[in-house]
Amino acid sequence: MPKIKLNLEIWRQKNAKSTGAFEPYQLSDIDDDISFLEMLDLLNEKLIKEGKEPIEFDSDCREGICGSCGVIINGQAHGPLQATTTCQLYMRYFNDGDTIVVEPWRAKAFPVIRDLVVDRNAFDRIISSGGYISTKSGPHPDANTHLIPKPVADKAMDDATCIGCGACVAACPNASASLFTSAKISHLGHMPQGQPERSRRVFRMVRQMDLEGFGNCTNIGECRAACPKEISLDTIAQMRRDYLSALKE
Amino acid sequence: MSMNLDSKIPSGDLSEKWSSHKGSIKLVNPANKRKHTVLVVGSGLAGASAAASLAELGYNVKCFCIQDSPRRAHSIAAQGGINSAKNYQNDGDSVYRLFYDTIKGGDFRSREANVYRLAELSSNIIDQCAAQGVPFAREYSGELANRSFGGAQVSRTFYARGQTGQQLLLGAYQALMKMVDAGKIEMYSRREMLDLVLVDGKARGIICRNLVTGELERYAGDSVLLATGGYGRVFFLSTNAFNSNSTAIWRAHKRGALFANPCFTQIHPTCIPVSGDHQSKLTLMSESLRNDGRVWAPKKKGEGLKNPNQISDDERDYFLERKYPSFGNLVPRDVASRNSKEVCDEGRGVGSSGYAVYLDFRDAIQRDGLQTIKEKYGNLFEMYEKITNENPYQTPMRMYPAIHYTMGGLWVDYNLMSNIPGLHVLGEANFSDHGANRLGASALMQGLCDGYFVIPYTLGHYIASTSLPKVDTQHPAFAEAENSVKTETQKLLTIGKNGKRTVLEIYRELGHLMWNHVGMARNEKGLKGVIQSIQTLREEFWSGVKILGDANELNKNLELAGRVADFLELGDLMAVDALNRTESCGGHFREESQTPDGEAKRDDENFCYVAAWEYAGKNQPEKLNKEPLQFESIHLSQRSYK
Amino acid sequence: MSHPQAKSITTVFKKVIIALSGLGLVGFVVVHLLGNLTLLRSDGSAFNAYAAKLEGLGGLLAVAEVGLLFVFLTHIGSTLTTKKRNLSARPVAYRQWKSKGGDTPSNSSSRNMAISGSLILIFLILHIWQFRFGPGMSQGYVATQGQEQIRDLYRLVVETLKNPLMAAFYSLVMVLLGLHLRHGIWSALQSLGLTRPRTLKPLRLAGAVIGVVLGVGFLMIPAWIYFGVSN
Repeated sequence: MPKIKLNLEIWRQKNAKSTGAFEPYQLSDIDDDISFLEMLDLLNEKLIKEGKEPIEFDSDCREGICGSCGVIINGQAHGPLQATTTCQLYMRYFNDGDTIVVEPWRAKAFPVIRDLVVDRNAFDRIISSGGYISTKSGPHPDANTHLIPKPVADKAMDDATCIGCGACVAACPNASASLFTSAKISHLGHMPQGQPERSRRVFRMVRQMDLEGFGNCTNIGECRAACPKEISLDTIAQMRRDYLSALKE
Repeated sequence: MSMNLDSKIPSGDLSEKWSSHKGSIKLVNPANKRKHTVLVVGSGLAGASAAASLAELGYNVKCFCIQDSPRRAHSIAAQGGINSAKNYQNDGDSVYRLFYDTIKGGDFRSREANVYRLAELSSNIIDQCAAQGVPFAREYSGELANRSFGGAQVSRTFYARGQTGQQLLLGAYQALMKMVDAGKIEMYSRREMLDLVLVDGKARGIICRNLVTGELERYAGDSVLLATGGYGRVFFLSTNAFNSNSTAIWRAHKRGALFANPCFTQIHPTCIPVSGDHQSKLTLMSESLRNDGRVWAPKKKGEGLKNPNQISDDERDYFLERKYPSFGNLVPRDVASRNSKEVCDEGRGVGSSGYAVYLDFRDAIQRDGLQTIKEKYGNLFEMYEKITNENPYQTPMRMYPAIHYTMGGLWVDYNLMSNIPGLHVLGEANFSDHGANRLGASALMQGLCDGYFVIPYTLGHYIASTSLPKVDTQHPAFAEAENSVKTETQKLLTIGKNGKRTVLEIYRELGHLMWNHVGMARNEKGLKGVIQSIQTLREEFWSGVKILGDANELNKNLELAGRVADFLELGDLMAVDALNRTESCGGHFREESQTPDGEAKRDDENFCYVAAWEYAGKNQPEKLNKEPLQFESIHLSQRSYK
Repeated sequence: MSHPQAKSITTVFKKVIIALSGLGLVGFVVVHLLGNLTLLRSDGSAFNAYAAKLEGLGGLLAVAEVGLLFVFLTHIGSTLTTKKRNLSARPVAYRQWKSKGGDTPSNSSSRNMAISGSLILIFLILHIWQFRFGPGMSQGYVATQGQEQIRDLYRLVVETLKNPLMAAFYSLVMVLLGLHLRHGIWSALQSLGLTRPRTLKPLRLAGAVIGVVLGVGFLMIPAWIYFGVSN
């Protein structure tokens, strides 16, 4: 099994209030079939043994679906691969002797909590402002009452696969949350069950997105390139279309 | 003296029990609901659905999760689907058949009444989720699509590509966030429950660590709902998320809640095999793959590294199809896992470790075309390729069983309440519905059933029928619980300063012990030995674990240490339970108890009961309580999938 | 139905304003280019006649100019506030930032709209200063059209663009205009929600082609005059 050696420059920041800085680290004997996060685990083990505090980073499922992990690797959200979360990025994509700069997501709406850990609750508040269908728990009409053409269901599913990792915001030169917000608007807007609240939803979610201090989308598309689930830019067009038609009401 | 365990199963005919129970239990009037606070710990399918449903009813809900957002609970990772007895396929499905399959799949170690209720409500769950806008897979007609799963001969699994758990969880999460917006739920993320607070013997509060500031926080309520998932991470390597843990249920157990059937763990047959020493978790490949993939190993030993495409059909052993002609590749998980292990133990395993079998799509691609297979499983194939760097469209996947789910959990009655009044346990955290083996696509069903449709009724009954004087966080019981947490944390940090071994090293070692002796096959000698080894490891942990940093800051290593401390106790109880249960059943395979052809052999005469363990104090052996399982509607039989 | 939230100008609405004003300016640019094509007739009479005709519109021209100014100010004002928001949305910059590329509109045009836009604005001020308020008949820039005497704007154009510095500056700005429109046209359609899943990419391509064609069209003029017209 090939082993590699890396020079790492990692952002260290004690807490939200302190100013951070990059720290250099060296790590050798890295199996190339471990993931980027497992490489960080390895580094942390080494640090703990040296009596140094480990690097804090978020991760959970480690199979690309929970959206917990995410760092900027050499200037790219989730690293160099498309359609990949940090936990699914394997060390075989790096070369022996590489220098890797690791930074947290940076946005006013995502303040750093510690090291590579950021606060993404702004996303929860956007969903909370309207990213749902108001239905109570209880008996409902049979699930086949609303027939949904397969292409429509497929499109809704494409948009619903967003994992809320925040890479769109991190990668966007404007730190805009439009892809995240529009993915939910588009998913629910494609479902027949989502129609009654369609206007209210788009107004409230857009407003909340603005209140959180995210930037404005200027249609650059870096969000799409960084999105591990490859959410399409047409969701953003859909959000604007919904917004305009809601204005007409 | 053993505790009297009242399961509170309603009387009457099996199919009438739930409706008559609903009709007879007490209600809380809307104005009074506003006066009650419910603490929901966990925000997965069970927790989020319960929190949302209770908040809609009018209760004040406080919901807690360890992740940065409730949307990240591990339910999100469930891939394949959710069962429901809709019979949309007209293939003979019914509530009774789903009930029967689940009981049989669980090897007759679950409660009839609970399982029947689950099957009965399964249909409502699909309707509920469709109403929330969950984008289930559809046919061209616009109707919902189904796929098949293990342990059933009907096609009753609803799905959203390979991300069903994600979509169902997002549905529940959105319902939860709606109620956050409505002001009925206060959401506390990055909080870990570290103790349960009892007042007058009732669950009235919790102590949480704020994972950002490290502060200990007190929360009081009229009932505590634990929906914190399973404890599969005791094995270190598992398909569970990195932070999944047993701490909430274990601390509740230490406060008196009984732990039922801890040794019932599920090993999922199709996971990507272990590749090295630094791996942090295993990745599951959905059971749905066994719809089209064929499981095989070379007939001859020592062909594990040969290019599989160069092994002809005559030289392949499609062992599941050979041994179980009527279910073929779709036998239940425990059976599939055990057979893969057997084949590898014979020396016929493949890959560099020799611990893997093939899951081959060659024939399905030839039959249905590449495009169809891509549409069905595309994301899973991509995930496989990312991890292994091999293209499963061209070369068969290599698979090996891994820990996936724990059927055991805190003991609950029919109302999902533990033996501690007011402590309710939902989803994987309880033991209730899956017996000794869970069928595929049933975990999502149970989590949502508990949260959307059971607890909204049974919690009301508890509140209406119980005297709940006002309790606030100034009550001495809160101070006592907080102090005990503080003391434990300080102890860890004090030892940690001069410790030698990292938490992860000890944790990995525990995982190895558990996997080797309390894993797919168990025997008396191994179990007795492992109990000793865990004891030694526990001592080593408490004398020499290395932990840095402080209590009053974000400190993930300290969090992990607390969880591992609990796993070191729970692992022991699992071995004790496995040792006690000398029969084999479902996922619990005692080598001493097998049929002549190597299948799990139950001992109904002596073990037709739920083993509910009672904490008896530090380093004291736990006390066994038994809840006999009564089968009124089903005849116990040797499980056969041949 | 009333939506109280709709009253405040959201980022989405602001992009609509930017898009509409931008498309308006694209219309102006097209008309301006068509008019300027008369410069390619080497004696300049066609261009001077065209300019005189515009002047002759009198009040109507004033209205058009005020309207155009309004569109410009709207476009500039709304993009400036957007830029301000976007700068404040990331208070700590990355040490390193690299495009992930892929099949997206991310390119030097889309990422530098503010820079190209600002340079075009500087040019615009200079350009209006020179040609709208620059030397006229009283300074001797007189041409004859039949019996009439009109402003010899052509001479001013030639004099300006024969200056190598000015020619280079004009050319540079026309390149920037092309780059601005290469992203701008498509971006406006996207901001107005006019793109659909299936038309997303074709419209992006079409917008880029139109943008580049307009840029090249304008670029022809300084090149033509600098190299092609003899004094």
